[in-house]
Order: sequence, then structure tokens, then C-alpha cells
Amino acid sequence: MSTAVKNQLRVCLLSVKYNIMREMVNKVTFLTNILFMMLNNAAFIIQWSILFGLREDIGGYSMKEVMLLWGLTASSFGLSHILFARVFTIHELIISGKLDAYLVQPKNVLLSVMTSSTTASAIGDFLYGIVVMCIFSFSVRRFLLFLLFTVTGTLIITAFAILVGSLSFWFVRTEMFGVHMVNSMISFATYPDGIFHGTARFLLYYVIPVGMAIYQPVHVMVKFDGGILFRVLKYTLCIWLAAVIVFYRGLRRYSSSNLMEARM
Amino acid sequence: MRKYAVIYRSVLMENLQYVANIAMGFVSYFIMNYVFMNLWDYMYADSGELIAGYTKEQMIWYVMMTEMIWFGARSATVARQAAMDIRGGNIAYLMNKPYSYPLYILAKYTGEWSVQMPMYMMLAVAMGMTMVGGLPHFRLVTLPVIVLCVVFGIMINAVFKICISMLAFWIEDAFPFQWLYDKLLLVIGTLFPIEIFSGKLQALFKMTPIYTVCYGPAKLIVDFSMEKCLEILTAQIIYLAAGSLLMFWIYRKGVKKLYVNGG
Repeated sequence: MSTAVKNQLRVCLLSVKYNIMREMVNKVTFLTNILFMMLNNAAFIIQWSILFGLREDIGGYSMKEVMLLWGLTASSFGLSHILFARVFTIHELIISGKLDAYLVQPKNVLLSVMTSSTTASAIGDFLYGIVVMCIFSFSVRRFLLFLLFTVTGTLIITAFAILVGSLSFWFVRTEMFGVHMVNSMISFATYPDGIFHGTARFLLYYVIPVGMAIYQPVHVMVKFDGGILFRVLKYTLCIWLAAVIVFYRGLRRYSSSNLMEARM
Repeated sequence: MRKYAVIYRSVLMENLQYVANIAMGFVSYFIMNYVFMNLWDYMYADSGELIAGYTKEQMIWYVMMTEMIWFGARSATVARQAAMDIRGGNIAYLMNKPYSYPLYILAKYTGEWSVQMPMYMMLAVAMGMTMVGGLPHFRLVTLPVIVLCVVFGIMINAVFKICISMLAFWIEDAFPFQWLYDKLLLVIGTLFPIEIFSGKLQALFKMTPIYTVCYGPAKLIVDFSMEKCLEILTAQIIYLAAGSLLMFWIYRKGVKKLYVNGG
């Protein structure tokens, strides 16, 4: 059992490694993508500087805390697109019947789908998150928590993308809905939760999992609370179980398009 | 001109078949505006406060209008297709056709936004009226000139995006430059009116596409004045002329480079 898991993980890591190596074929483009993505994210520092020039705190957050929020969002979103970029387009594989290539391999289907592509510019997001965290609110304990929450954030974002993407097994025209739901996570995650009230707050914590992926971890990094930390870990496990169950339930309904395809 | 009209009409007819798909984008538009409504609601301590000379309602309407232009005019044609045509070599076939390639892209793009923009306009007005309330100083008689301003803004944006895409003649991937251009437009002109910046920066931003693409049209919608309108229209005409010249110049230079490389 443990050997099988070890082999599976080895295959996944190799897959990610080769995906990144493929992206690095043109080194100038690869580096430009990373650098420009970091600059692209940094443009939002202007936005927050202006807003904090108008008020000292926004939604209970100071500039440092907003940057921590931005850092965690960027690194979690980045890492999920480095390791598991395919889950964000999983609906395309389902609708066009392109899952066949993954089904015939002697590997876990979901894991091999997830690790089958990478986005080079996401490395820029990931690095930007770490750099911003180190510049604005570095301490050893906070940095370790940041790394832990980057992993939980990555897992939550990925699981949520699998959940909404898997809707395509049942409904044909849900692909855009799924894409918008995942994008909405990013839109909400880069603004303090204190500005949202009522239904919006409920949605952010219980429907779109921004609360558990980003807001609660930021609260823990600002003021440590073991209870919230444990809740985030438990939520990560639960959403992953849900994603795996929904994906494999959906896979039973999958029908091939008899498409001839080779994966190199 | 007739050939471009034919291209425009065929793309328009094609896009009219996909209005349901376009409407799916309403979700993102709604979410973005919802976030900004909450943000500005929080930023204004009381409803009578002015920030950079804007009331809360004017500020939210400003963001809704700039976001409307942003969403209604977005298209892969000027941002990705032009660059991919060059990168993938498809340009070798397209440049031999009896039309100018940049004008072909512009005609195609116009066919796309003429379907998207009115849809987003209707959504923006409906959202604004129900969630923010009417604009106190808005007069219907100014609508034709505002529409003209919005159209000029969209075309200026398209011309500059095509210029950036055509950098693909020299570099492998021009897309990162599009990100930076988009982000500057978004952060400086879309999320805030430029009056929020210091005087020196305002003068600087007036010389960038930000002033003509998003700030100008949105400013006229929330706070119309004849002097401002003439100033913005003049700037737009100058920008459109200069941008078009730059676009044709880059294309000509790029095509020569393509000949050198063998196509």
C-alpha cells in the first residue's frame, strides 16, 4: 500500500517537474512571464496605498494585513496553478471527451489529470506572495504559518475548482459558471472580509471557500488561534474528500468522444 | 471600406448567436461591482462626504461605468489572436489577403464589442439604478456625445493593444506586456477617478491612454460638463490618430522583419 502511494507521488512529482521543464524551453519567455506577473501583482500596491491614504483601517485591516492577505492569495493561487493547473480547465476535458488518455493509464485518474499541466506565470504569483509577506510582515513563526496556509489555501482552491469543474459531468453548459466561481474567489480574496456583511459574508465562508482558504489563515497569522488553525485543517480535509467523491461519481457518467490523442 | 463592413457584419452575426455565453460574463461583472460597492460603502464615513470631489453615489457609478467599458470591450481578438497569428505564422496567410491586417483585426473586434457592450450597458444601468440609485446630474440629452466618447475610448484601447500584440514580431510572447498595460489601466483609471491622485500625477496621467480610454467616458457619465467633454474628445482624437499611425508603423516594420525570417 505504502509503496503504491510512494510510486504515485513520485509519478506526480515527475509530471510536475517535466511540465515546468517544458515551460522552460524558451528561457527568456519563461523568465519574462514570471517577472511581469510579479510586476502585474505589484501594481495593486498603488491601489491600496491610495485607499489607506483615505482611511487608516479598511474593514479592520491595516496596510500590512492587506499585504499579507494579498501575499497569501497570490502564493496559494500561484502554487495551485504551478502544481495543478489542469483542474482549472477540467470542464474542457470532460465536455470534449478528452479524459480517455488519463483513464487508460495505470495511475490514479484524478492525480494524473491534476498534475498534467502547469502555468509558468503562476511561479511569479507564488514568488510575489512570499516576497510581499517577507517585506511587510516577516517573523519566523508567521513565515512558517504562511507556508502552511499556502499549502491549505492551494488545496482548498484546487478542491473547489475540481468541485465546480466536475459539474460538467452532469450539466453541459456549466463550464463558464465554474470559471466565474473560481475567479470570484480571487476577486473576493484580495479585499478584507470586514467590508462584507450579511449574505455576502455567509457566502464567502460557506459557499465560495475564501473564508477558510484566505481570511481565517490571515486572522491566525495576525493573532494566533489554535482553534481556527485546526478548523482550517479540518475544512481542507473535508473539501478534498467532497471533491474526490464528486469527481469519481461524475466519472461514472463520463462518455468518451473516441478522440485519438497522444500525451507526450 | 466595404470589405471591412462585410467582416464587421459577419462577426456581428456570429456573436449574436452566442449572447447566452456573453451573458455568463455578467457573473464576474456583478461580483466585481459588488466588491467595490462594499468597499466604497465602507470608505465613505457618511453619505454626504466627498472624496476627490465625488459623492459616494458618483464614485460607485464611476467604477461601474469603467468596469462596464472594461468588461464590454474585452476580447481575445486584439489581445491574444493578433499575437498568436504572428507567433504561430498564420500572419503569412493573412497578410496576403486583399485587406490591411490591422484594420481586419479592428473590424473583427468592432463586431465583437458591438454585441457585448450594449448588453453590459443594460446590466450596468439596471444594477446602478437598483443598488445605488439614479445619478443626480445625468441628462439624457448628453447621451449621444457620451456614447461617442465611449466608442473612441474602446478604439484607442484596441489600437494600443494591437500595438502591444505586434511586439510578437520581435519577441516570443507579448502577452506579459498586455498584463502590465491592462493593470495600469485598471489600477489608475478604472478603480479610481484620476482626481484622487496628486496634481503632478494627474497631469502625467492626462498624457497617457488612461485619460482617454476609461477616465474620460466615465467622468462624462457621472459629472458632465461641456468644457470637460471638448477636452476629452480632443484628447481622444489626437490619441486615436497617433495610436493608429504607431500601429501601422509597427506593422510595417514587423512585416519587413517577417520577410527577413522567411515567414
